[in-house]
Amino acid sequence: MMIQPIQPGFVGVVTGIDICQPLTAPEVAQIEAGMDSFAVLSFPNQPLTDEQQVVFSANFGELEIPLAAQMMAPEKRRFQKIELGDISNFDGKNTDKLRDREDSRRMYALANRLWHSDASFRAVGAGYTLLHSRVNPTKGGNTEFADMRAAYDALDAKTKALVDDMIVGHSIVYSREQIGFEVKGDADNLKPVKHRLVVTHPVTGRKSLYLSSHIGEIDGWLIPEARAFLRDLTEHATQRQFVYSHKWEVNDLVMWDNRTVMHRATRFDDLKERRDLRRTSIKGVGLGVDSVPVQQAAE
Amino acid sequence: MISVRPFHDLFVGEVSGADLTRPQTEAEIAAIEAAIAEHAVLVFRDQRVTDEQQLAFSERFGPLEHTGGTGISKPGEQRLHPAFADVSNLDVDGAVLARDNRRRLYSLGNMLWHSDSSFKAVPAKYSLLSGRVVVEKGGETEFADMRAAYDALDEAAKAEIEDLICEHSLIYSREVLGFGDLTDAERATMRPVRQTLVRTHLVSGRKSVYLASHIGRIVGWPVPEARAFIRDLTEKATRPEFVYRHVWRPFDLVMWDNRCTMHRARRFKSDAVRDMRRTTVAGDAPTVALAAA
Repeated sequence: MMIQPIQPGFVGVVTGIDICQPLTAPEVAQIEAGMDSFAVLSFPNQPLTDEQQVVFSANFGELEIPLAAQMMAPEKRRFQKIELGDISNFDGKNTDKLRDREDSRRMYALANRLWHSDASFRAVGAGYTLLHSRVNPTKGGNTEFADMRAAYDALDAKTKALVDDMIVGHSIVYSREQIGFEVKGDADNLKPVKHRLVVTHPVTGRKSLYLSSHIGEIDGWLIPEARAFLRDLTEHATQRQFVYSHKWEVNDLVMWDNRTVMHRATRFDDLKERRDLRRTSIKGVGLGVDSVPVQQAAE
Repeated sequence: MISVRPFHDLFVGEVSGADLTRPQTEAEIAAIEAAIAEHAVLVFRDQRVTDEQQLAFSERFGPLEHTGGTGISKPGEQRLHPAFADVSNLDVDGAVLARDNRRRLYSLGNMLWHSDSSFKAVPAKYSLLSGRVVVEKGGETEFADMRAAYDALDEAAKAEIEDLICEHSLIYSREVLGFGDLTDAERATMRPVRQTLVRTHLVSGRKSVYLASHIGRIVGWPVPEARAFIRDLTEKATRPEFVYRHVWRPFDLVMWDNRCTMHRARRFKSDAVRDMRRTTVAGDAPTVALAAA
């Protein structure tokens, strides 16, 4: 196995391994070490089945069950494997029909075009996310990644001191609000969860900004002040020198660490062209993205 | 006679040889108009103008906007003549507004990229901002050249936006920062207006993208799709090479053309005194035939 960085220290291309087959423990360790170094790994030419994607993902921890799959009746699910997230623009199981312009699933998914970290609105955010490409549009539909370690390092000392102990509230409501989409549903899932804005990687010890468009508040700050500050910080953190844009090829598998990168989708002509990606996510238990205990958050 | 030194690769000129405390000749006004048509933003240094002098100079470019009827300031709370937009953080007695003051929180919307008065049916032409007391750190004003932003779009993107109509309102830009503390009466004065997304400058003939954080909708588009699109376009239009950051010196007067630039304020300490006074020259006509949304 060989890992070749695309940018110094950020995004590695992994070749010389067949991840459709079960991995050995040293291979898993090597991939994890690669993730620690590069935050994003891209595996080209891996024709994974759904089952193989789940098996490969499970090497890295416990898989999350996507919210949408949880809430959907089994017969409506597109995939047999409940762990797979449907990142397509298909009208459910009917893969020949694309979602209509006004489809609420489409509206909801448009917020993926905002910079975010997966599941940061949960008490335990996602660790790794793995995305496998099956169908791509002719133009657009890239996934962009921003290195939150480099973004943290590039802050001036004063801003570091300001953000180091900051506690922020994340909710799916906040990211959808930004594009004028109202999320309705179970109030418990929508309640903001508190995370530290700066997290320390348990292996490398590097600090990074745990930013996400799901953030809507900073403890102790007035809302408009907090939002203005978070926008500026996000702008800083997503400057082009910190960003890699992945142009998908069929059978690419890209995995990233949500603790150290943000990502977003770029636009494509989703009313005319098909795009099918399948997502698995690993729970970030014990990885430094657990929510801040309520008591500590109140201090 | 005035002379203008380019200050940036794309736009912005620094004007020398002007004294704005005295009446300008026809020739001087013509020279300034020609300069702003080319540079879009003009910086005049060391102009210790009084409010009267700023008004007199501004009026040479056309009728001024009055700030009454928009925003959230009430009569009696205003520090300045009604032709001024008070861009300070001071109350009527000259004291710095408290951190949680409603007007202060409202004004944080100026930290978002915008074009002045794009939420009016007839939007503003020029803004003239005089820095009477400037802060030592932060508080810069950034400008972005929307002509260059337009020029940099590829042909498909130009074709896509050519006929788009957007709805602008102060309500939308305040929503972005979670400021929804508006009365029904205030909301009534902030009803959305329509503007074209592409404008052609009357003097220079150049096209520009007419963007502002006041945009909340594109006519005929679902709201989330419009918002995501405008965000992406704004990001492209404000990339570093199109941006000039003005670091204020005391008594700088900066004049810009809202028809082809956006601007935004940068953060500064909430307890520092910042006294900036803006006059605004009204535009000539709506950008669309039916401006009321």
